[in-house]
Amino acid sequence: MNAEVQRVVISLPARAEYVDIVRLNLYGIASKMGFTYEDIEDMKVAVSEACNNSVLYAYGKQDGIVEVAFEVFEDMLSITVRDEGESFERTSTSGSATLHDKELLDVEIGGLGFYLMEALMDEVSIENAAGRGTKVVMAKRLTRSEEKV
Amino acid sequence: MNANKNDKFKATTEKNGNSCTVYLAGELDLSVAPDFRLVMEPLVSDAGIDLIVNLKDLKYIDSTGIGILLSILKARHGMEARFLVEQVPPQIQKLFDMTGIAKFFAPNENSQ
Repeated sequence: MNAEVQRVVISLPARAEYVDIVRLNLYGIASKMGFTYEDIEDMKVAVSEACNNSVLYAYGKQDGIVEVAFEVFEDMLSITVRDEGESFERTSTSGSATLHDKELLDVEIGGLGFYLMEALMDEVSIENAAGRGTKVVMAKRLTRSEEKV
Repeated sequence: MNANKNDKFKATTEKNGNSCTVYLAGELDLSVAPDFRLVMEPLVSDAGIDLIVNLKDLKYIDSTGIGILLSILKARHGMEARFLVEQVPPQIQKLFDMTGIAKFFAPNENSQ
């Protein structure tokens, strides 16, 4: 592979029934790069959570578009999920999204998606500006395994 | 729209005496969350049964699915009715551990 970055971009309706298409594309690209089964599973969850947020919060009741860009580096896969809707709010402040320090009755469900993205990827950044959409950029480094998926 | 038939979500209910097991298969994500809620609703509100969710053939779960399991846990806890999750595949157990939901599935009830 040459040094330049190779990009695969897909554009989908911001609807729940298309999120599995993103996972299928991710699987194809990540397995071609040589990621392990476990790393691919991690990325599937992280990318789906970013798409879920666009589907749920970006466009209200209107139909919109989610754009997912995969950037294939020599030793890293970077994935950008972008929408052009209203930006979503983080439902909880960072650090308190997990349930580890909570009793069952105090548990709130919001925030788990963000927490999973951050826990499962090597790098995550979220940019949102009111009315100008949300962009989530996440990356996973390639640790080469003996057996390819 | 599932491109791969094996990934299509399925929930099969099996009643046995006073316990009821729901076998989940395929991918439990945002798109099928309403279907899953619909299957579970009447069962969750039935305090007379032991409710079991079997995840052996579940290929994928997202935070929406985890959220539904959590709301079932809360409802059953409030009713003092039993709710067990069994045969959790490793990649899903990892998510349960990460999010912290694992601790609410008591270990002795989770290992059968």
